[in-house]
Amino acid sequence: MTRLARPFVVAVVLLLAVGTMSACLAAEPNGVDPDSIKRGAYLATASDCAACHTAPGGLAFAGGLPIASPVGTIFSTNITPSASAGIGNYSEVDFARAVRRGVRKDGGNLYPAMPYTSYRLLTDADIHDLYNYFRHGVAAVDLVPRRTALPFPMNIRASMIGWNLLFLSSASFVADPHQSADWNRGAYLANGPAHCSTCHTPRGFLMQELSGSNLAGGQVGPWFAPNITSDASSGIGSWTQQELVQYLRTGSLPPKARAAGSMGEAVEHSFQYLTSADVAAIATYIRAIPAVHDGSDSQSRFGYGTAGSMLGTLRGANGIRSDTGTSPTGAELFLSNCASCHASRGQGSKDDYYPSLFHNSVTGAANSSNLIATILYGVDRKISSGQAYMPGFGGHKTDPSQFNDNEIVLLANYVFQQYGRAGTTVSRGDVAVVRQGGPSSSLVLLAQIGVAAAACVLLLLVLFLIFRAARRRRTA
Amino acid sequence: MANADSADVVIVGTGVVGCTIALEALAAGCSVLMLEAGPRVERWQIVENFRNLPPSLKAHWDAAYPPKPWAPHLETYSEASAGDYLQLEGPDARAYQQGYVRYAGGATWHWAGICWRLTPDDMRLKSLYGVGRDWAFDYNTLEPYYTRAEYAMGVCGPSDPALQWPPIRSKPYPMGPTPFGPGEQRFTDAAARIGLRNLPSAQARNSGISYHDRPPCCGNNNCFPVCPIGAKYDAATTLPKIESMGGVIMPNAVVYRVETGSKNAVQAVHFYDQDKVSHRVTGKLFVIACNGIETPKILLLSKDQQNPNGVANSSDQVGRNMMDQPKIIAKITMAEPMWTGVGPVQSSSIMDTSQGAFRSEHSGALIRMENAARSGQAGVAALKKGLVGKALDTEIRRLAACTGQVTIEHEPLPSAINRLTLSDKKDWLGLNKPNIYYDVGDYVRRSADQYSVPIVKRLIAELGATESEIGTEFAHSDHIMGGCIMGNDPSASVVDADCRAHDHANLFLPGGAAMTTGGSGNSTLTMVALAMKASDAIISQLKAG
Repeated sequence: MTRLARPFVVAVVLLLAVGTMSACLAAEPNGVDPDSIKRGAYLATASDCAACHTAPGGLAFAGGLPIASPVGTIFSTNITPSASAGIGNYSEVDFARAVRRGVRKDGGNLYPAMPYTSYRLLTDADIHDLYNYFRHGVAAVDLVPRRTALPFPMNIRASMIGWNLLFLSSASFVADPHQSADWNRGAYLANGPAHCSTCHTPRGFLMQELSGSNLAGGQVGPWFAPNITSDASSGIGSWTQQELVQYLRTGSLPPKARAAGSMGEAVEHSFQYLTSADVAAIATYIRAIPAVHDGSDSQSRFGYGTAGSMLGTLRGANGIRSDTGTSPTGAELFLSNCASCHASRGQGSKDDYYPSLFHNSVTGAANSSNLIATILYGVDRKISSGQAYMPGFGGHKTDPSQFNDNEIVLLANYVFQQYGRAGTTVSRGDVAVVRQGGPSSSLVLLAQIGVAAAACVLLLLVLFLIFRAARRRRTA
Repeated sequence: MANADSADVVIVGTGVVGCTIALEALAAGCSVLMLEAGPRVERWQIVENFRNLPPSLKAHWDAAYPPKPWAPHLETYSEASAGDYLQLEGPDARAYQQGYVRYAGGATWHWAGICWRLTPDDMRLKSLYGVGRDWAFDYNTLEPYYTRAEYAMGVCGPSDPALQWPPIRSKPYPMGPTPFGPGEQRFTDAAARIGLRNLPSAQARNSGISYHDRPPCCGNNNCFPVCPIGAKYDAATTLPKIESMGGVIMPNAVVYRVETGSKNAVQAVHFYDQDKVSHRVTGKLFVIACNGIETPKILLLSKDQQNPNGVANSSDQVGRNMMDQPKIIAKITMAEPMWTGVGPVQSSSIMDTSQGAFRSEHSGALIRMENAARSGQAGVAALKKGLVGKALDTEIRRLAACTGQVTIEHEPLPSAINRLTLSDKKDWLGLNKPNIYYDVGDYVRRSADQYSVPIVKRLIAELGATESEIGTEFAHSDHIMGGCIMGNDPSASVVDADCRAHDHANLFLPGGAAMTTGGSGNSTLTMVALAMKASDAIISQLKAG
């Protein structure tokens, strides 16, 4: 499933009540090519299935991860080969229909939190390998995760039939003979399994990807997946091929960009494990994406800000801080909470473990979501060379330091002013939205109003018919 | 669910012991109410308090934690301030100027994070060496609780048994050790040349990875008086977690009386708020987790008809056996830079010197090179020389790089004469201040004379120090122990093997106060292990109804 909006309250309650689990990997697969299973495992990694179908601390592919979406919380499903709880009864045809068309074996529609609009590009051969992997390479877990219960009318899964008619293309992947093999491989991976557009392409009113703004940046729960088109100021047109490869493999390109939130998970679970050739192919393709320019961007988000400190004006001015009830300033909050790692002038550490706060995509952004989300939820990205970690400051109830919304406003505005794009400002409303997991859609309310209006019309019509019938009876 | 005046478990004190028990009890489904005498503040406020201090006060660990009038603690900034709250007497009175803070989170706010275990021998002094007391149980009984304590706090340490102390463990440390800085490496090499092993300390500090929503250590080197990023475990980091599990924490609630009822069970505690208004809190089970000074003080303040000597005190042992590791400090100067200060303030010690047959004659001792950055002290010392300009700069750099401190901490014996009583002097709320008589005893003095200081002299010579100054007066280590000593005999001890008061079936007094002997290392990990053991007893007692 997609990396759309990973959860912030990671309640793995379901999985604590450990049910029965068939711990053994499927025994000697009957007549199944082991290389096909291996290729399927690689594709599952490239598709980052685990990001949603494996809950943190939970059993592999057993589902149960709550995914915040603008229309409510969706719980990922069990896709292990368990017959009772997973997809053990799926034929390859059933499997292909679920992955590429978003339709379950029982005919019910999936919500497009599952990026079947991207996975539709998977070739028959790749679907076959993926199927073999999920049938024979994954341990069955007989635990049924919590069911998704979206508000009316989204709970009517058949409503997705109409959505699919509008937004699910039936075209399969066609190589472009005018482009290199590398570019074509990258196009297949980026648009298919890696489903980049799921997060990076803005969505329209009906939650559909706006194809005219391909990869121009989209909101993903509390995070903002930025513009990654080839535009030099709004996108990543200034990045070299080598830089993009480094970013995808490690999640870190000092000082410009670090992967956190959903992208951190994509690096952790997927990109770091892909072959060098595949990562290079993705980079080749992404770097050639047509530029989408935002008129408000006069320079790239990687160039804003400089080192600086207000230490000299503050130190000693307010002796015993814990005894003075006055509200802190942003500079005070920065020096006492951030500077111990990011250094007093915001320059980070020499070894780049702690990012510089200037020339940094987060502080150079016009959208404040990523700075707010980083402060609230922190960063936890594990790759083979180690962990990149920053604690959250109140996004989780167990965070040792708990900032209120006002403190985050003060701190984030100070950081934008002192180290980043000074024109970006943060309000309490912005913080509240990120704290609740991202903006919610008015779609549910509108749909409910729409359904109510339709019901009224229907009622009036029925009344009219009754009235007319009564008159006819009278006149008869 | 706990509310403001009742809970299954009422815990007095929000330090490491109280918080450990709160988390265990909440996880078992019990309701928990915590009463804290002092204020609750944010980490960033303490960091600002510390960084705003003048250089002369930066080495006073309590200075960033000014006490509230209703919850005084010892303030070290002057002789007069140091004598204001704790009343001290006896030949080594100054060696009991204990540093602790009455703030939510307690004294782990400003501890170094060192987590030594006791050794099996440390727990059997009477039977092996004919001194002190034996514990109510052996090391093997305590070992699983040590392990739980290490995983609860996030203790880093070596995986090689040859570097572990003691190397008797059921599980590895949750994290690997922090690397030595150059000063500690140099000390380790010098020690090895004269046959002594300087071991990496077990530390409640995240090394290289995150643990329990806290980041890895980045070497700010101010574990005292506050870790600015929470990489070091302190109990304050767990307060939000306790609340997220339904625990209720009430700061500025100074418990002054334990009320007993039928069958001498505890039925309530009484506290003053910051407006001197008294409140009564009831519960099924009570925990007083205020360590070795405040816990016995509350018990002695709670005299009633059934308990004329104070609550839990039919043995007359409440307040006796006050312990700490009497410390001797050696200041050294080298001809060339040694560079202490890279990494945490302490991360190694010589431990072999704490064990041996000599313990029938004198105490063992721990010896370590402090790893605190010297820049603050160097600056103050260079200014006192009257230097200015470039000469001042050069001297600060020289002193910061080339000076160091070697510390000896001696194992104490429990002794009835080292006793906490109630002073006639009253605090802001009108409560008696604690009075402590303290004598480190001949057992420790003989060690310093014949054993520990001679070893340190050899170490200093081997290091190649050009100047050295070995202190002649014992100092406090801030490891408060005793006061509610544990034992199997109710006539000679205050609490049983689960830290339950012999006199009151529903009163627990876990932590440093219960420790039977102290060993040479600091007491915190043993306090938390005892808290874990008490938690099991508390939970099973509540479940049994």
